[in-house]
Parts: sequence; structure tokens; C-alpha cells
Amino acid sequence: MGHRVGVDIGGTFMDFCLWDDEREEMHSLKVLTTPDRPGAELLKGLSLLQERYGVAPESITSFVHGTTVGINTVIQRKGAKLALLTTAEFEDVIELARLRMPEAYSLFSRRGAPLVPRDRIFGVGGRVLANGEIEAPLDEASVLAAVEKARAKGVEGIVIAFLNAYRNPAQEEAAAAIVARAAPELFVFRSSEVWPVIREYERTTTALINGYVHPKIRDYLDRLIETLRGQGVTVEPLITKSNGGVMSAALGRRNCVGMVLSGTASGVMGAAWVAREAGECQVITLDIGGTSADIALVVDGQPQFGVGEKIGDLPLYIPSVAVSSIGDGGGSIAWVDGYGVLKVGPESAGSTPGPACYGRGGTRPTITDAFAVCGFLGQHDLAYGAFRPDVALARQAIATLAEPLGLGLEQAAEAIIRIALSGMFVEVNKTVARYGVDPRDFSLLTFGGAGPMLGCFLGRELGMRRMLIPARPGVVSALGGLVADVKNDFIRTLFADAVPEASETLAAEAEALLARGEDWLRNDQKFAGEARPGWFADMRYRGQSFEIEVPLDDADVRAGDMALIAEAFHRAHEGIYAFCDRDSVAQIVNLRLVMSGAAQKPFLRPLPPADAAPPTAERNLRVFFDDAWQEVPLYARASLRAGHRFAGPCVVAQDDTTACIPPGFAASVDRMGNILLEAAE
Amino acid sequence: MALDKITLQILANHTRAAAENMAYTLYRTAHSTFVKETEDFTIQILDAQGRTCAVPADLGATWYAGLDFGKAIPMIPDYEPGDIGFTNDPYSGFLATHTPDLVIWKPIFHDGEIICYCSGHIHNTDMGGAVPASLSRALTEVHQEGIRFRPSKLYRKGVLNQELLDVMMTNVRKPELNIGDLKAFVGAMNTGERKVREMIAKFGAATLKQGLSDLLDYAEHQAREILRSIPDGEYFFADYADEDGPDGFPARLAVTLRIQGDSAVLDFTGSDPQLTSSLNVPTGGNPHHTLMLVGVYYVLYSLNPNLLLNYGLVRAFHCILPEGSMVNPQFPAAVGMRSLSCARLRSLLIGAFGLAMPERMPAAPAGSSSIVNVMTHDDSTGEAVIAAVNPVVGGAGGMPHGDGTDGSGADAAYLKNTPIEITEAEVPIRFRAYGLASGTGGAGRWRGGLATRMEFEVFTPHTRITARNRDRCRFQAWGILGGKAGKPSTMSLNPGRADARLLNNIDTFTANPGDVIRIVSPGGGGRGDPLLREPERVLQDVICGYVLPEAARDDYGVVLDGERIDLAATEALRAERRAPAALPHFHFGEARDAYERIWTAEAYGALTRILAGLPIHWRFFVKHKLMRAITAEGGGAAAVDAAYVALLDSLPHMRRQVSAE
Repeated sequence: MGHRVGVDIGGTFMDFCLWDDEREEMHSLKVLTTPDRPGAELLKGLSLLQERYGVAPESITSFVHGTTVGINTVIQRKGAKLALLTTAEFEDVIELARLRMPEAYSLFSRRGAPLVPRDRIFGVGGRVLANGEIEAPLDEASVLAAVEKARAKGVEGIVIAFLNAYRNPAQEEAAAAIVARAAPELFVFRSSEVWPVIREYERTTTALINGYVHPKIRDYLDRLIETLRGQGVTVEPLITKSNGGVMSAALGRRNCVGMVLSGTASGVMGAAWVAREAGECQVITLDIGGTSADIALVVDGQPQFGVGEKIGDLPLYIPSVAVSSIGDGGGSIAWVDGYGVLKVGPESAGSTPGPACYGRGGTRPTITDAFAVCGFLGQHDLAYGAFRPDVALARQAIATLAEPLGLGLEQAAEAIIRIALSGMFVEVNKTVARYGVDPRDFSLLTFGGAGPMLGCFLGRELGMRRMLIPARPGVVSALGGLVADVKNDFIRTLFADAVPEASETLAAEAEALLARGEDWLRNDQKFAGEARPGWFADMRYRGQSFEIEVPLDDADVRAGDMALIAEAFHRAHEGIYAFCDRDSVAQIVNLRLVMSGAAQKPFLRPLPPADAAPPTAERNLRVFFDDAWQEVPLYARASLRAGHRFAGPCVVAQDDTTACIPPGFAASVDRMGNILLEAAE
Repeated sequence: MALDKITLQILANHTRAAAENMAYTLYRTAHSTFVKETEDFTIQILDAQGRTCAVPADLGATWYAGLDFGKAIPMIPDYEPGDIGFTNDPYSGFLATHTPDLVIWKPIFHDGEIICYCSGHIHNTDMGGAVPASLSRALTEVHQEGIRFRPSKLYRKGVLNQELLDVMMTNVRKPELNIGDLKAFVGAMNTGERKVREMIAKFGAATLKQGLSDLLDYAEHQAREILRSIPDGEYFFADYADEDGPDGFPARLAVTLRIQGDSAVLDFTGSDPQLTSSLNVPTGGNPHHTLMLVGVYYVLYSLNPNLLLNYGLVRAFHCILPEGSMVNPQFPAAVGMRSLSCARLRSLLIGAFGLAMPERMPAAPAGSSSIVNVMTHDDSTGEAVIAAVNPVVGGAGGMPHGDGTDGSGADAAYLKNTPIEITEAEVPIRFRAYGLASGTGGAGRWRGGLATRMEFEVFTPHTRITARNRDRCRFQAWGILGGKAGKPSTMSLNPGRADARLLNNIDTFTANPGDVIRIVSPGGGGRGDPLLREPERVLQDVICGYVLPEAARDDYGVVLDGERIDLAATEALRAERRAPAALPHFHFGEARDAYERIWTAEAYGALTRILAGLPIHWRFFVKHKLMRAITAEGGGAAAVDAAYVALLDSLPHMRRQVSAE
């Protein structure tokens, strides 16, 4: 029995989520980040935990941390100075990428700069073929020459990515050994160790990101481990991963690319857990912060996974919780174009200077300012008492648009909200269209600082009939770490036909993957509980140019039962394309093992029940919507009890966010403190 | 009455959401490489008159933002709910632009009235005809380019027209691919209908109809706003395709851009007569035809990234398309490889707009994207293998504030490549090189984007290689404002060996075991005086291998001592080189300069005049006769006239035919 602590860091706050095993309670708090004194916010949070909830460092039985160090390093291009060794005559693999540019219609479109400039990319002799045969031996002299040139350029590390190394890593390994001998001070990563998948650009980029963020993450984790030890925390910290799992901080020092998207991923894991606990299994999660909104899909209680998620302008090709980021947040700026049409975004006031009403020097009108002018914000302190939005400043900012639009101040503010919602409508629609689902079959779970403010209106725009506002919308990511399993992915590109002759090969490859997975779980992770292997294959019909992911049965894979595996593919194909072709040969491109060990999930004591159905409003607010001022009740979230029922329009204020509930929705509070909204018929 | 501007923007977003939804549905469920990898498809929401009101921005090709279905839709006399119309005939309503493009549309009814249409096109791998994939520049009439369907009902009241589909499938080489994509395509139309019905529920049918019309006005306003910012005037430009057919002569496309206030006329008079090859661009003379205006979409969008992409844009532009020319060919001229000419049309318009507003426009993009296919046998299985290898694309032109992107970009930005490792795993070829080609970008204050170089070896006898869209081997991507032209493209067999063969624009050939094929795309043109480029950038380009060491001195006037800049020597050299007079707007490169010393503006004017006076079926023949006859510089119009008289004298029969017209 003890305390479990989840900690997630964002742009402005470090969020703490505490799960008290003994009292079966959950608590949360936020601490302002201190970019100039990294680690200080952690100390402050730990001391507040002790002060407020009596959490002694030695009573912490689990410490899970999500960090944005990796993603910030990539976005700000502040990572390691690297050299890249490629197969000679293929040096431009990262410059060419997959050719397509981000904007198809612009003559001026360009991709972000590669993580390694061309003068630190060196081709070396040697060639592995697609079947793994060595056509030309590794030219060791050219490796040595490249290492010397790289050293002269002052690199910190070397990434090695050769053609077809997914099939045979021998030449990459040999080159790594040469680097280790010739330049022991440099760190080395091989594409075949980081993520050995077919497709040279994707594999090279993944290895490069790993190397690029490695020193920053290594130093950060070392400091974290040290800080915790210094405070008397005895448990080894865990780090949340892009794949929605966790791993030990010690492993994270080298498996850096695995934690690049840890914050967004654990947000979705936390949201999925909240939804499952509330009995909602088909959920779209919407995390809205100051500068962006993250959308994810939870199907049958499970987050969706994908490859090709974006970090800044770079794609990340390891399996990650699938999250679509859209450039709309509370800070998106409204403006009027030459035709007199009101636009919102893509420019954002971000967290500095932030919306005008935050009083930090912002003067341009944002979505948050529009909510303030309409009376939804500014009634209550935000961020655990850190500040209260200044409505007068919001009105000044919106006034600059009201005049050219020929609208009253409040009308202009409401127009901004409506335009912003219709823009988000486009993006959410696109995201769900990728999965081929209809948002109306889903519930919406909104979290993040601006989630419950915009989310319910957006859900209404999308025609969604059920929405869920979690008890602590501001710390869902920190909660996600607490409920995440220990988890790692292992891949092997097979490029084998799913025919009985290949059965033994498959079984052998599966066994090898399983051995690696168990080694990781037992020896690296020291996990003692039940091991859960999950199998996936990227499959296609021979000659098709793309694969679909097929979940496979553990027994079928271990037995190498190709007939059943092929059948699983035909069915998956039929599910997506409405047809399958059992006469064609199915092909297994990649075999993937997801090895996980289940975390103990928190159990929460229910909220005390309400003594009357309707809660008592703190007071009435005047808010502007549907083109008129209206009186609506303001509820304090802390006063809500299980079983309370009320109806929109109303506003619910709490420490970390303000929820705006539109008319036409009935609200009820469940035993966990979530607010469930249901559309009236 | 027009909608208020707030509702208009909300409706614009919802309409785009419907288009994006359709596009994702198609992309997610389609089957062929053309749709999945090359993204050669488009999606539109049309108003009740068949004009494009919204297109997706994220997915698909960029050509049909202003597509007008207005002529094709009424070719089916009556519609009922559940109908889906389709056509692939380039000469029925001038909607489909070559036979592999299947265009379909679904009317959306509300209270018995058509409110709008959902529509789109997909490029089918093959539609039958004389050659696999239906496309070759050697074809001479549309009948060789596969089976054609005039606008017909693919679905009647929700029921598939199986007989018609059977006819299609009997005539094509890869029916299973066509069927797979068609199913996905119909699924996308049904998604579109659902989204439109949601909009009707939200906005009301009347508001939606009005809104679609207002969206066109909005885009038109944006286009006119940009035109007003461009100085009035008349700007003439011409660009050439290297060959007008196998072993041909150059094909000239010419435009006079007349900008007056907020509208523009694009007069294509002076473009070559229609060709007896498949490079013709079928427009039916429609003054707003989308194929003629793709370059305009790029120019407008580059100047205003908030541009609404729809038919309203084209209203501000009026094209004059002479009958019987490459840009308005008469039935049954072949049109399959119009994509090659369309690349020239885009560079033509980028060039003309560059004359009008040099400070805002880039130099020419590489302008030729070779689509490479390999047909061979897999020795390990004995099976025939047909595979698309990479498109070989070149860089963008130098931009007003930056270098052209290397290896891809500008009007080829939507193409994707196939990973080398995937191709090597599937096709019995081995790559020997794939990367940027040093020294191929035009020199300039802002350098042109580099070409790509791809080399592969084949191991099986009689391996058929096709490389469509081969061009710019002779005439280079031009530079502007002192920037130099990019290097031309090359294609060769066994380069550097005794049995080397230069193939260049030859687009289909056979290779045998041990043969190595090398394709180098064109490079983009440079922009601005190379002597003004910061020496540090030149040094960095040399270190990176983007610029050859000798070019630092020759092109940029930068004197390097290893990896160090000799600043004093650079200053001196640059002072000595600095041009005394203003640099000409364009730099075309030696090949075009030499050609235009023979075919001066005056001489070409005479040629155009003579050809325009001939019956259409005589023009290509006479063009070739005159081109063959005129080889000396300085003859001018007189030499062309003299050659024509000589031709008439030598062919008395022809004189009678021509004058009888």
C-alpha cells in the first residue's frame, strides 16, 4: 500500500496526479514550469504532495513521468550534432524523403530542414541485397574515413542506416564496431536496432530522431533519477512512451525515440481509462490546449495505434497511439480578410503572450477572448488560483474586429466561436474519415485546459449525442501514466507469402521475437507479473503497394499456421474494402510483437451521493449565445456529487478548466465525478 | 440574396469537410497504386450547374479545382435519385481529359430538385487500347487509347449498370484493379451524399444552394483581388516541349497574358497546331477549361494561401484557344500524353506571370516528372512482373526568398516515390544510385532545385522499360532575373561503358541482363544574379556537393581555397564579372538560344500564320516539312515563306487541296 504518482509536463504547467492506494482517492495539482531551473518544479510538486496529502517520498510505490523534452528538442531543432552513414550513392535518402511536399498547391512549399545536413552525411561502400545476401563487402576504409570527417566536424554521435539492413544487419553492426573502436567518445545508433522495418527513409528517420534527442533525454533522465533519489524516493521511475506504455527511465536513456510522443499518448491512455470506467467504449477524445487540439479515437475501449504520426514537421514511424493534431486552440487568433470574411487561425497567440484576457501582453483577439466576452470566462479563477481572465482586455481585443465586421461586440465574439468550431469540424471530420467511422456513433471526451470550454459546442456541431467531461480534465495525461502497462514493440520484416511452405520460417521468427520480448520484460524491465504478447502482421496481397495491419492470434503465430493467418488477413481486408480475394496470395511484410505487462489499475472510491437531484448553483451568470444575453447557472465542480442532474445552458467552473454546456443537453454526475451530457431528443 | 459572411465561412468549412471526407474514404478503400501512391485522383462538390465549389486540400492531384461539368452532365437527359453518371471520353463534354481518367458524378436530390453533385476522377491503370496502360506519345488517334464511354449512367436509381461495366471490364487489361477502385470511388460518392444531407439538415436546402453560389463569388473575388495587385499589361511568353512526337521537332506553346484591372485574358494563339501524336490537350475551346488554368491555380495559391479552390477562380480568366491547335485539338486527335504538354503549360504560365510581377514569382521548376515502369520476369518464380518504379522528379525554381527545393517541389509537389527497398523486394532489379544530382540546379541569387538521379540494373532478358513524360532533355528549365537555367534531363543505357546509348526522350525501350539505366531529371531554374549570392551559401553548397567546385568560380564568382572563402579574390572576381547592363529577364540556356536564332519570333510568326491558314489535317505535316527545310540562322519570316512556296511547288496536289479549303 502506498502512493502512486503520475507527472506530466506541458508548456506552462507540470501536472501531478496522485493515487492513494490506501484511501482509494485521487488528487491532482499543477505547478508552473520553471524553464530556467529544470527540476525545480518537480521538487515543488513533491513537497506540495507531502504538505497537502501527506505523501512521504519513501511511500511512493510507483512514479511515472511523461516528458516533452524529446518533442521540444525536435521542434526547436536543438538536438545532437550527428553524422549519418548511408550506403554509398544513396546519401540523399532523408533529403528526398518520400518526395511529396506538405502543400500541394503552393510553388513555395518546402519540408522542414533534415536533422542532419548533407555535409555530415557520408556514403560508405558495401551492399546488402533485399534477400539479405551481401553483394559487396563493407568498405572498412570508407567507414574509417567517414568517422574521421565526422569527428573533424565535431559531431556528438553517429547514426548508421544502410540499404536493406532490416533484412541483414551485419554490415551496420560491423560499421558500428569500427566506429566504437575508432571514436569511442561518440555514441552510435543503428537503424537495424532502433526499428528494423522495411522502407529506407522511414527507418533512417526513426534512427536519426533517436540519436538526435538522445543526449538531451539521457541527461534529463539522469537528473530526474538523481533528483528523486535525493528526495528519498526509492522506487525506480517509469517513463511514458509513444506506444501508450511505460518503461524504466534507465531504458529510456537509449530507447529515446520510443518516448518522443509520450505526453500526447498518455493523454489518450488516461482518457480511454476514464471512458472505460464510465462505461463508454466508443469514444473520440479531444485534448485542447492553448495552441493545438489533439484528437484520438477509442474503439471498444482501446486507443488506436498507427505509424507516421507527426512530430513537428517530421514523421515518426514507430507504433504510436494515433493522435491527430490540429492547429486550433484557445489561443488561435481571429482576423478579417479582404472580402470581409472572418477567419480564425492558423496563427496562435500560444502561451506567450497568450490570449488578451490573460493580461500577459497579448492584444489580438483569440478564441479564449471570445468566450470571455460572451461571459463564459472571467467568472472564476483558473489554474488552481493562478489567475483570473480579464474580461475588459478581451473586449478591447474583440472590438478591433467588431467594427470591420459591422457587428456588436458580443455578436462578433459569438461569430468567432462559430467560425472556430466550423474549422475544427473540418479537421475532426478528416480524422474520423481516415478510420471510416461516423462521429455520431461515438461519445466525445474533452479534456485539457480549453477542452471542456470548446468541446461541448464542437460535439454538438458534429452531431454527437453523448459527451463526457472527466473529473480532472487538466491532469488526464498525468493520470494516463498511472494506468499504463509496461510495453515494448518488436518488429521483423519477413516479406514472406502466407503459404504452408513458409510456416516454419514464421514460427522461428516468432520465437526469436518472443525471446527478445521476454528478455526485455523480465531482464530489462524486471517485470514479474503476467507477460502478455500481442501479435500483429502488416499484410497485403502480393503486388499491392500498401499493407493493412492484421491482429493475429498468439497460438496461430507460434504454430506458424499460415492458413489461419491468411484467413485473418482476408477478413481484415474485407472489413476495410468490402471485399477480399481468397484466390490471391497473401503476403506478410512485417511481423510485430507487442510485449506488455499489465499495471495494477487504480480503484477509486465513489463520490458521496447527492442529497437532491439538482445541485445548488453558486450564482447566475449572464452569458451571450444564440445572439442574445441569457441568464445561466454557474456550478462549482467541487460542489457536485454523484447523482446530481442539471441541464444546459450552464457553466461549470473548476480549478483547471471551465466547462461550457450548451442548451439541449442534460447533465448528470456519475459516481467517479465525471459529468455525462446527453442530447435531449 | 447572398449569405452573410459569417455563415459563408462556416458553409465553406462544412463543404470542404464533405470533400475531405470523400477523399479520405476513397484513399482508404482504393486498391491501385495510382490512387494509393501517386494520388492521381480528385474529388469535388459541384453546384447544380456542375461547377466545382469545393475540393480537398490534403489529398489527391491539383488539376481539377476549377473543373466544369456543365457540358457533360446534360448529355444524360434525365436524372433520378440514386443515379451516378460517368464518362472517360475526352471528346464528350470535355470533362475527362484522357481515357484512363474515369470521371463520375452523383446528383443529390432534395424535394425532387438537384441541390448539388458529388464528383471526382480516378486514373485507371489501364483502359485498353493499343498499349498497356493506354498511354503512349506514339499514338495518333483517340481510338487507340482504349475504350471510351460517353456520359452514361453507371447506376440507375441505385442499381449498378452491370452490362456497361461488363463492357468496360472485357476491354481493359487489369479489370480487378479497375473494379476495386471503382467500388471505392462509388463509396466515396455515397459518403459525399451523406455529408451533403447533413449540410441540408443544418443549413437548409435554400441556404446551401445559395451558399454554393456564394462560394464561387468568394473565390472569384480572391482571384480578382490578386489580379488587381498585378500591373496591367500584355506579357508574351513561349515555352517548348523538346519533341512533338517520336523523333519529332519541338512543340511550341505560347501565351499572351493580358491583365487589365481585375481580369485577365490568356491568348494561346501562336501555340503549335494539333499534333499527330498524343501530346494534345483536349479543351473543346472552353475559355475556362481547367487544364489551361492549372498554372493559374498555382500562381494564385502561392500568392494567397487562404485561397478558396473552386470554379470561381477561373471566372476572372478568359482563354483564347485556337481551333486545331495543341490546346484545342479536333476529334479524333490522340490526347493520352497531355500530361507532358500540361507540364509545359504550367511553366508557360509561371513564366508569363513572372514577366508581370518578377518580384513575386519563382524561376521555372524542373518541369518533367518521368513515370518509370518496368515489365520483366522474376527468374525465381518465372512470373511476369509489372511495377511502377519511382517517378524521377526535379527541383523547384529559385524562389523570391529562398532556393528552389531539391529533388521535388513546385508543380510536382504532389508526387510520391516508392521506397527502394520495397521495389528491390518485389522486382528483380537492383538500384545503383538514387539521390540528388550535383550541379544541376540553375545558378542564381537563389539557386534552382537539384535534379534527382536514379540508376538501376536489370537481370532478366527483354525487360521492357517505359518512362512517360520524358521532356526537358533539350530545352532547360529557365532562370529569371539573372538566374541561370537548370541543367537538362538525360536518360541513358550503360553510361560510361563501351555499349553506352543515350536515350533521352525515348519513352519505351528494352534492356537486357547487365544493362544499367540512368535517368537524371532536369534541374530547376535559378533566380537573381548568382554574383549576389552570399559566398557562405556557395561554400556550403560546394561542401554539401550541391554545387560543383568549379561552378563556384565559374557561375558564382566565388574563389575557394579548400573549405575557405578567399574574400578578397572573390570581391575582385565579382567586380570584374559584374554585368555592365541589366540582365535579361530570362536565361534559357544554349539549346533554346540556338533554336531561337533560327526560329526567331518573326520566323515563328510566319510559321504560325501559314499553318493557321491550312486545313487542320495538313498542319502537322507542313510544320514538319518547314522545320526540316529551315536550318540556317537569320532567315526570318522571308525564309519561312520561301520554304512554304517551295513546298507548294514540289507538291502541286497539295496546292489544289489547300486552296480548295
